[in-house]
Amino acid sequence: MTSRNFRFYRVVLTVVLSWLLPVCVSSSSFAAKPAPWVADNSARADFSGFWELNLGKSDNIQARLDILVRELMERARRQAKGRQDRGGGMTIGGAGPNSAPSIIGLAKMADLITASQLLEIIQKENDILVKRENSFALTCEFYKGAPQFQESVFGAETCGWDSHQLLFRMFLPDGLTIQHILSLGSAGYRLNIATTVYSDKVSYPFTLNRVYTRYEPDRGGIRCEMTLTRGNVCTTEAR
Amino acid sequence: MRKLSLCLLLFLAACGSNGQKGPEPAIEAVSVWPVPVGVVTLNKAESAVVSPRLDLGIIVFDPGIPKDASTHSKLGVFPKIRDVEAQYLPVVLRDALVASNNWGVVRVVPKNDETLGLRVTAKIIHSDGEDLVLHVRAIDAGGLVWLDRSYHDRTNPGDFPALAGGAPAQISDDPFADLYRQIANDLGLIKTQFSVAELANIRNVGLLRYATNLSPEAFSGFLFRESDGAYELRRLPAADDPMMRRVQRIRNQEYLFIDTVDEQYVDLYETMAPTYYLWRQYGRERAIFKADYELRAANRESYGRRGSYIAMERTYNTFKNSKIQDQDLQELAGGFNNEVAPTVMEVSGRVFRLSGALNAQYTEWREILRSIFSLETTGKKTPLLD
Repeated sequence: MTSRNFRFYRVVLTVVLSWLLPVCVSSSSFAAKPAPWVADNSARADFSGFWELNLGKSDNIQARLDILVRELMERARRQAKGRQDRGGGMTIGGAGPNSAPSIIGLAKMADLITASQLLEIIQKENDILVKRENSFALTCEFYKGAPQFQESVFGAETCGWDSHQLLFRMFLPDGLTIQHILSLGSAGYRLNIATTVYSDKVSYPFTLNRVYTRYEPDRGGIRCEMTLTRGNVCTTEAR
Repeated sequence: MRKLSLCLLLFLAACGSNGQKGPEPAIEAVSVWPVPVGVVTLNKAESAVVSPRLDLGIIVFDPGIPKDASTHSKLGVFPKIRDVEAQYLPVVLRDALVASNNWGVVRVVPKNDETLGLRVTAKIIHSDGEDLVLHVRAIDAGGLVWLDRSYHDRTNPGDFPALAGGAPAQISDDPFADLYRQIANDLGLIKTQFSVAELANIRNVGLLRYATNLSPEAFSGFLFRESDGAYELRRLPAADDPMMRRVQRIRNQEYLFIDTVDEQYVDLYETMAPTYYLWRQYGRERAIFKADYELRAANRESYGRRGSYIAMERTYNTFKNSKIQDQDLQELAGGFNNEVAPTVMEVSGRVFRLSGALNAQYTEWREILRSIFSLETTGKKTPLLD
């Protein structure tokens, strides 16, 4: 989706949502949260290698937004009906929980978080490093099979295996939660990263699947190595 | 005099167990760091000590790498860097001890040797560009513990001047030089509490323990081992004892080997000094930046309505930047290893000595010397000399 299309779609969606979505439900009563997960190391996959984004196979953000809107509208309709049955009325508004800006915000966040075109994954027996272009790397250690848990003033993280899938969860301030699930398909030639963004202001999470395919980087016969005193030192590889 | 010494030892190491005799307990990890040593001036003896010389051996440090590899990243321990530091830091301590003029020969030794006049062991508790914490023990040949305490030094910006050569021209300009000076001062102060006769006695006990290792049947009667593991001198062999002369000669040959090895440690130090200096400098700058960033982030007012894109983006970007900061250090560690690892291998390869193989080489050399001694005294040839 181009940014111009996205802006147009956002305007239309804002109008529609602001009239149709109920905002009478408090966010705390339906805040979306990831499901509990039990680490399972039984069937680890090997994600090692270089991966490039395959846009054709990946989710279309507009389609995903449509689905989310339909789900929320259906939910709103059911709640409104219940309230009418009990003699209550439907509250209409454009701010607060499930507001259009919050839903669009989730979609934009998912787009921002999954913007990396290239990945390099280095996987060893006890840890994995997922280097993402223009972003920080996802890292996980799984020495004892138990999920790794880290916490700082900026948020908490957990990661680990869920059978053949590798799961990363980040719990950030202000009710923002991000989950990445890595899984391998097509005989190891395709990598799917399902990124889900949760907000305690929207009752449904927003999920975006990004599909990556393997590629061999063209090094042009150059091999580079990071050093402290000389920076990145590159040498020609013997052919 | 001995009692006075013990009182001083106890005073000097309030957090340790100085003056204790007996088998060496394993050094435990220090969970609470002592107060930093601050600015320390090295106390130098008026002139180089001539007599009695008490030689001092610094055993290659214990790198202090936790066995549980899953804790390394959380503790900020980079095992490869720690392994190299364990060989690098003793050279800096050696320099401070030599400069103090308090000792005879000061050597960096690859393996623990209980027959050394005074041996210093240390475990690296923490090491980065900001803080260095070492747990240091010094034990004499008789088994008396001179020192058993932790030392902590914290750097300030002045400890990392911009240097044209990339590293301090002199070892004494090390960013943590105050820590080594403090150790040297403490050991020097303890030494002043021993009389000339007591120091000579320590030397003799060391020599006789060495002799007993070579020929227990000939020399064990000269020493008495107390129930707590300490050694007392019963009597001395005659000054012209031919067996004792052989022992001296064998020991000198062993020292020759150690001195050759010691040069390799200095080579290693000089080769890796610029890289290691940069690593610690970057580490310090990064730690300061991160602490400052965390403070600013924690005090920042929330921006935008909760749940709005602008608020979520800001939250995410703050998290992202903190992650990038953490991962920069990992990259630096990788850069350090890429430069230092070949050097270590090269040094090791040159003499087949400097890493793990050095211990084996040293042990083998001692076995050869023992065999030579046996051949000379009993006429029996061992397979090692075939």
